[in-house]
Amino acid sequence: MVTGLKLIGKKYMSLKNKVQEYLNPEYVYIPLVVGNDTNISVFVKKGDYVYKGSILGKKQGNFSIPILSSVSGTIIDFQEKYYLNGKKIKCIIIQNDFKELTENKINIKDDMNKFSKKDFIERLKDNGIIGMGGAGFPTYAKYDTDKTIKTLLVNAVECEPYITADYSLILEHAEQILECINTILKINKIKECYIAIKKNNSKLINTFNLYIGTYPNIKICEVKNIYPMGWEKNVVKEVLKKDYDKLPIEVGTIVNNVSTIYAIYEALKNNQPLIDRIITITGEGLQKPINIKVKIGTLVSEIIERFNKYKDNKDLLFVAGGPMMGTTIPTDDLVVTPNLNCVLVIPKPKISPSIECLRCGKCVKFCPAKLAPVLIKDNCNNIDILKTYEVNRCIECGLCSYICPSKINVREYVRLAKQNIGKVDK
Amino acid sequence: MREFPLEKGPFLKANNKTSKMMFHLLIALFPIIIFSFYKNGIIPYNKGVTDIKGLFLPLIVIIVPTLTSFVTEMIYAQFFLHVDALKYVKSSFSIFPGLFLGLIMPLNTPLSMLILGALVATLIGKMLFGGFGNNIFNPALVGRLFIITAYAITFGKYIYHNSYELDTITSATPLTNASVIEGIGSYDTLVKPYGNFSNFFVGMIPGSVGETSALLCLVAFIYLTITKTIKWRIPTFYILTVFIMSFIIGAFNDLERTYSLFQILSGGLMFGAVFMATDPVTSPTTPIGQVLYGLCLGLLTVIFRHLTPYPEGVLTSILTMNMLVFIIDKIGVKARFNYKKSIPYFAIIIILIVSLSCYIGLEYRKNNAVEIDSNYEIYSKTIENDTVTYMVGQKGYSSVLKAKIVIKNNKVITYEVLEQNDSYYSKVEDSNYIDQLIKNQDSLENFDTIAGATFTSNGLKKLLINTLNDYKNNKNEEIKGNIDINKDYEVLEKNNDGINYNYVVTHKSFSGTTKLSITISNYAITNITVLETNDSYYQKVVDNDYINYLINNQSNLENIDTITGATYTSNAIKQAVLKTIEEYKGDLNE
Repeated sequence: MVTGLKLIGKKYMSLKNKVQEYLNPEYVYIPLVVGNDTNISVFVKKGDYVYKGSILGKKQGNFSIPILSSVSGTIIDFQEKYYLNGKKIKCIIIQNDFKELTENKINIKDDMNKFSKKDFIERLKDNGIIGMGGAGFPTYAKYDTDKTIKTLLVNAVECEPYITADYSLILEHAEQILECINTILKINKIKECYIAIKKNNSKLINTFNLYIGTYPNIKICEVKNIYPMGWEKNVVKEVLKKDYDKLPIEVGTIVNNVSTIYAIYEALKNNQPLIDRIITITGEGLQKPINIKVKIGTLVSEIIERFNKYKDNKDLLFVAGGPMMGTTIPTDDLVVTPNLNCVLVIPKPKISPSIECLRCGKCVKFCPAKLAPVLIKDNCNNIDILKTYEVNRCIECGLCSYICPSKINVREYVRLAKQNIGKVDK
Repeated sequence: MREFPLEKGPFLKANNKTSKMMFHLLIALFPIIIFSFYKNGIIPYNKGVTDIKGLFLPLIVIIVPTLTSFVTEMIYAQFFLHVDALKYVKSSFSIFPGLFLGLIMPLNTPLSMLILGALVATLIGKMLFGGFGNNIFNPALVGRLFIITAYAITFGKYIYHNSYELDTITSATPLTNASVIEGIGSYDTLVKPYGNFSNFFVGMIPGSVGETSALLCLVAFIYLTITKTIKWRIPTFYILTVFIMSFIIGAFNDLERTYSLFQILSGGLMFGAVFMATDPVTSPTTPIGQVLYGLCLGLLTVIFRHLTPYPEGVLTSILTMNMLVFIIDKIGVKARFNYKKSIPYFAIIIILIVSLSCYIGLEYRKNNAVEIDSNYEIYSKTIENDTVTYMVGQKGYSSVLKAKIVIKNNKVITYEVLEQNDSYYSKVEDSNYIDQLIKNQDSLENFDTIAGATFTSNGLKKLLINTLNDYKNNKNEEIKGNIDINKDYEVLEKNNDGINYNYVVTHKSFSGTTKLSITISNYAITNITVLETNDSYYQKVVDNDYINYLINNQSNLENIDTITGATYTSNAIKQAVLKTIEEYKGDLNE
């Protein structure tokens, strides 16, 4: 059974306003990072003119993937900006000339069905498609496998509170998403596809149902409204009733985020690289929470200045990501990346002091990775014991800290344990 | 650009709090405290069997240790930890060790004992381990264990208010009662003395201050489970295991339903399972660990209740399992990743549960078949033609009932109690119980005991039953004539070398004669050898190593016990040895 907990959604905040667009920032800051990998070779220098979709650099090593420009314009400098993990990352600053010039390839309407699997993988790679759910793993690598792919699982669960980016995207592009899934199934000879949606999102289910009749291989699967239902392992378990150890392909399954599917659609249909996305900018600290379609590399401070505005509240927290897994950033100098789905601005929560752990076992009960956080906490410096506790399975979902009645930030102890184990492994 | 403070996520927190959980615990305990006041205070007071102090005694027994724990922890925090005591006790839930201690003690535990127990519970059970959250053992149980061992008192001696037999006020708890019953007992002996099962369920039976009401414990269990306060798996599997094991034990003795219900509704099981075994600090945190923990607790409780002299086993089981929590959690952690890893452990526990139940069940069945009553004793038996006169004893409630019973031609003609010190004996006399027994001597098994003097009247009944059994079993061999040791003792040979005196003697035994060789040196028996015997009960003497027993206890020979089941034979040997010592003394004087 999938473990998790129902959380208060707070999704209405960003949904009461219309989806906005901001696709013409004066400067974009393209961070030299893919996922958490900063091993990027840069192909451009200060003063170069780049087109929309030009290759700026390339992630080296396994699963290499290009980093592309999201506007046309001139490279004016390199500067460090905050990335969603809270670290400063070197970015290429491009001054937008607002011409949206491309290197002659974009917007050629393609017959999506003519692709061979090899073409398909090339297309994904060339257009820099990476997972938009959070990890930022190159998507083509999932399809580039010798194993038989039996099932495509489209993850539209979006289980973390506040976030509605995928939700808005589906309302707008359900037809295209279904068309793209159908194409992916044909190209990769996959028999079936499930779209996992939380059962309380009837609006999304209805939207898909308008178009789904023509696609007998695509089924909607309603999943429980619990967190972290959207975690890959949970969603595979819930929909397919299957367990795997490391990757879903072990059980013949590929899991793609629904936003990633739409990016694939743009790449196949229009040969358009991944240069924009919808993100949710919300929270009680903003005057107007919204979903907004923005260019990769846009500064969040700029968006908030134009569209949201801070409330006159001094004690605000600025969080990259959702309220459970997100990280606080010391300034709003955060850049939009394909894997940033949410920016949350909330009043600083009152800190209730933690008391001694009473060993109630709630963190154990709710841990989706089936860990025993309380025992990891007790032994977080004892490497021998930690090894048997399989600390590295932790996905840092934060439920242990959320549920703790003694208000102990259990996740921090587990992170410490992971670090300690990591040191030994090296 | 705007600056923001940094903070560690997650930024949402559940609104559950440890203090809220403890509050739920108090709410769950509240009806139990009220019920205890009603049963142990109000009812006896209304019946006029206790004074105003007795009315409030149950509350005093609960409040005094609670306050003791609270004050102790404040003082400890202020003077030993050097922290703000008020702030400290706010998050350390200091009242619980004392509160629970009060609830699991008998009503008339001296207050000094309660205070000392609560002190030990808080100081040794909790603070010495590092305070709340760090203790290994359940503090309240540590306190109770201290009281038991330090005062070396068995709780059977305490007064328990028993609403069913209110006119008597006191009686033994069902488990204590069961422990003196030979074999497994029956509905009549286990349940009927306390009315019926609904008294057990509601809690109108003798027992500790807060432990008796299974109903309120169940209500508390449901409440605490719904509010997610306790680890529900532990009590569920604990009680289930005890139920299943008792069911199997009962099944071997055709008493499965009665016995299993009796076991789970008696003693501190329900209260212990719901409140003590689920103490979060001292129980496993992993779900599979909790199941395993519950199974082990049930197994241990049944073992302690049946295979040790102590009637109750909940306290010992929980304290024992407290020590093993860390191992159980280790199994629990591994089993979460791969449940198969826990299968061997479950297999072992289940095999133990089944095999031990069968073993205990068979043992009881054996006891039932043989019907040896260890509380019964024949002091002497005189046979004259067709009349047998028994001097016999049987354990009553607070003393041994000694009586003379004369049986002639299979009929009891005299039943006379010679000696007793039972507080309820007057009740027996009032109701002419003995005459009734003689009148109903042919159907004694089904003859009712006296409500209000169950133990005493049952003792008298058993005394007669056991004596009649002995009469019937031995009749054919015995009624041949009067056996008098004095008359039938004879010294056949004696010789000495100045130091060692050797005697060869014969004496009349139960059937036939026995020939003994006895050597005495310097007033001490150095050897006894049985040279010849044709007594059919002699094997029993050998089985019990009675000869060596005589040699080892020769300084107190007059008072040593005979062998139950071979009373006459063993007594004859004893008397023969005594006579020989007299002979030796005479020889020395010459």
